[in-house]
Amino acid sequence: SPTGDSWGIFTFLCAALCNLPALPALNCSEELGAGQSIQQTYDLTRYLEHQLRTLAGTYLNYLGPPFNEPDFNPPRMARAERVPSATVDLDLWRGLTDNARLAANYRAYSRLLCYLRVLDGQVGTAELRHRLAHFCASLQGLVLSIGGVMSSLGYPLPAGPAGPPAPPGAHAAPNDFLKKMDDFWLLKELQTWLWRSAKDFNRLKKKVPPAVVTLRLEARGF
Amino acid sequence: ESHLQYERVGADVTMKCGSMDWDAAVTWTVNGTDIDESHLNGSYLILKNVNLSQSGQYSCYEGSSWHLKYQTFLRVGTPPKEPVLMCRSNNYPKGFYCSWHLPTPTYIPNTFNISVIHGTKDMVCEKDAVPKNRCHIRYLQLFSTVKYKVTLTVTNALGKNFTTLTFDEFAIVKPDPPESVVAKPVPNNPRRLEVSWQNPSSWPDPESFPLKFFLRYRPLILDTWQHVELSDGTSHIITDAYAGKEYIIQVAAKDNDIGTWSDWSVAVHATPWTEEPKHLTTEAQITETTSASTSSFMAPPTTKICDKGAVVGSGAMAVCWTAGLVVAAYSVLFI
Repeated sequence: SPTGDSWGIFTFLCAALCNLPALPALNCSEELGAGQSIQQTYDLTRYLEHQLRTLAGTYLNYLGPPFNEPDFNPPRMARAERVPSATVDLDLWRGLTDNARLAANYRAYSRLLCYLRVLDGQVGTAELRHRLAHFCASLQGLVLSIGGVMSSLGYPLPAGPAGPPAPPGAHAAPNDFLKKMDDFWLLKELQTWLWRSAKDFNRLKKKVPPAVVTLRLEARGF
Repeated sequence: ESHLQYERVGADVTMKCGSMDWDAAVTWTVNGTDIDESHLNGSYLILKNVNLSQSGQYSCYEGSSWHLKYQTFLRVGTPPKEPVLMCRSNNYPKGFYCSWHLPTPTYIPNTFNISVIHGTKDMVCEKDAVPKNRCHIRYLQLFSTVKYKVTLTVTNALGKNFTTLTFDEFAIVKPDPPESVVAKPVPNNPRRLEVSWQNPSSWPDPESFPLKFFLRYRPLILDTWQHVELSDGTSHIITDAYAGKEYIIQVAAKDNDIGTWSDWSVAVHATPWTEEPKHLTTEAQITETTSASTSSFMAPPTTKICDKGAVVGSGAMAVCWTAGLVVAAYSVLFI
């Protein structure tokens, strides 16, 4: 079906984009010298969480019922597992090294950003497109910020998604309803990640003394 | 053997005297008291529109031999109304607890059954010994996207009812109020009050899950509160207190990022520092005023000896007068 093909093409493009190294961002942080501010990254996650609340409300209304009902509590299906989950075992989360903690955040937001950009190309209303575009830009800023913190601490940036890109149409939702379910879970995972990141960066704040440096966020034209 | 039966308030109850025939001659008693024959239909006891006061032990005796033929304990009650259920996490990220109660009593024994479902998993909510009607659950995973569904079923002999709560992990986070709130005046600062407090002891990990605080204060004589929100630290200095007025102060806590504010802490009272009053109602006052003006730091010890309200009788006056002389002598030495 035509919708299936376009979803597949987008997935392929997305995977290709994600495999591009984030090195341009590294140059940015090196220019600024020692230490990135973990506090600033924390503040960014709070800002994004606030933005997401408005965006999610608008988007879920666009999807229509039952997605915009507050009680909507669907079971998690296997296909939703493609979106990285913030859920983690309590003791495991506590025991994460700084590197692992930062890397998990970096990987998650990079992938979530990809999926969101695909969404951006498909939505109906101009208002929604505008909001999504704005959110994607902010989210990219967060990815860069996390990358900057990692570099300044001497940690290598995680590589792109492992393996060859999936063939076009491999993950396409078979029908309109399931496509909307994918969107629903994407927003939910994004919300959960932002809420988890606040806690991750709280922990990092205590363990790594922040160095306050202004970060110039340049649009990298993605 | 004695039986037990439960009946609804307002129901009509017919009690049979065991295996006795309908036309047998029997006597019924309730808690040892004979029941009038007008309530009998043959050997059956008829109770219409029963009420709570009719609960008790009913016994049936054969007419002539006074053999006990049947005995039952009647308990009048109601089926349960929809229970009230509340779940809260005051010890995030350890877990949460749920507590419940019935909005109206049933007057008969009830059993409560609680089930917790997380996605497809059934979780066990461990019942607390104290208080009753409460259970707790430990989180196995954090940052879950799947909601928790808690169902409470209440059952008794006359019926059952239930209620369900569905919530996200972060939605039920509500710490206990801050503890050990202390407010003190700040010496030589008539408009300041120093407030300090501690994290609630039930909050297990304030390092990784820091709390922020909300302070509210007002002088007793006014109704409107002033508020201050503090993102870290467990103390604050109020700098705009009205001089000499007693204040009431409370603090609340919230996880920095998620959930809702705690209830207000226990209220503490404090009055800002004021300069010690120099007037006394004795003759010694005159001596004191002259000495006090030259060495004001002497004033406090004097007022200790001569409490404003306690100067009665010549004995006290003599003490005051002597103290005043001593003070005058010392101040002369110091000049």
